[in-house]
Amino acid sequence: MMVPVRCFTCGSVVGEHWEEFKQRAREGDEDPAEVLDELGVERACCRRMLVSHKDLVDIVSPYQ
Amino acid sequence: MSDQYDVTFIEQDERSAKFLVRGITPAFANGIRRAMIADVPTLSVDTVRVIENSSVMFDEQIALRLGLIPLTTPDDYRPEETVTLAIDVEGPATAYSGDLVSSDAKVQPAEEHVPIIDLKEGQRLELEADAELGYGKDHAKHQGGVAVGYRHLQRVELGDERGEFAEDDPEIIRGVIEDAGASETSRAAGDGGELVETASFDNDLGNRYPDRNVSVEDVPNAFVFDVETDGSMSVDDLVLSAVESLRTRADELEDAVQL
Amino acid sequence: MSYKCSRCKRDVELDEYGGVRCPYCGHRVLLKERSRDIKEVNVN
Repeated sequence: MMVPVRCFTCGSVVGEHWEEFKQRAREGDEDPAEVLDELGVERACCRRMLVSHKDLVDIVSPYQ
Repeated sequence: MSDQYDVTFIEQDERSAKFLVRGITPAFANGIRRAMIADVPTLSVDTVRVIENSSVMFDEQIALRLGLIPLTTPDDYRPEETVTLAIDVEGPATAYSGDLVSSDAKVQPAEEHVPIIDLKEGQRLELEADAELGYGKDHAKHQGGVAVGYRHLQRVELGDERGEFAEDDPEIIRGVIEDAGASETSRAAGDGGELVETASFDNDLGNRYPDRNVSVEDVPNAFVFDVETDGSMSVDDLVLSAVESLRTRADELEDAVQL
Repeated sequence: MSYKCSRCKRDVELDEYGGVRCPYCGHRVLLKERSRDIKEVNVN
């Protein structure tokens, strides 16, 4: 649904980076690995939080 | 054990630090690590009063997200004291952690840009949240330290020249090394040697000393800590209050067993 | 109990005799409105 606020494994706050990551790596054509490096998300556990996330609000909102 | 410890900072930021401590036992090093995770209290949202929530998420899900947002924690708070935060956002918009309005100016979301919920046309989120001081051992949302760990300090001594046709397998080590071979003077003086992060030579000693044999040994009672905080306090405050909490509990134990 | 008909969006009052059915359009799908009370939720 919404991006998780923290990394499930280590607890560092990853939610704040989502919108920039989405704009640059999903909608833009930058390399996700480079974007994450620039955002300072360095551990694999935090990186997967952003890489594997999908926003679902737009998909479920018509069924309210 | 002495009252003084030899502490050297290798890297220091507001939210993350790497430092070397000499003269502590492995048990004490682990005690500090555990205290940083579990025994340093931070403020975090604990109760939420939902006035209106017509978003696509349940009240409980939103409450959980609010709980995970780190709040800056001044050190004059006592357990059971509460701070009230309020949020009122009307769609179409996204509610961010920065939209929270706090009753105490010193208690603010440490991150302003964490999305709480995406609101569509006609949806609205209005609620009040009470933040409470709590401990990491009770709930992960109260953990001030994130990814806290330590390693032994490793000492690298240079051996003889490697033979021309010797195997050149990579010699991978991670963390921080005490490089006795870095300069002839430090070796002659017999002091510790230069502290080098292994990341600076891609964690492979073969890159740093391509044709020398090296020996790597743990330095007894020297530990390199790697500490990060979630933003609720600075690394300095986190480490100091962790050590302080150890001291308090040791004193409590001493009092308890006295006849 | 106050409900809202999912087809004609009108408010519907249900009693124990009428069964589950909108009295205005006969639709059988009713939505329960959220209470206006302030709901207290524990974060855990």
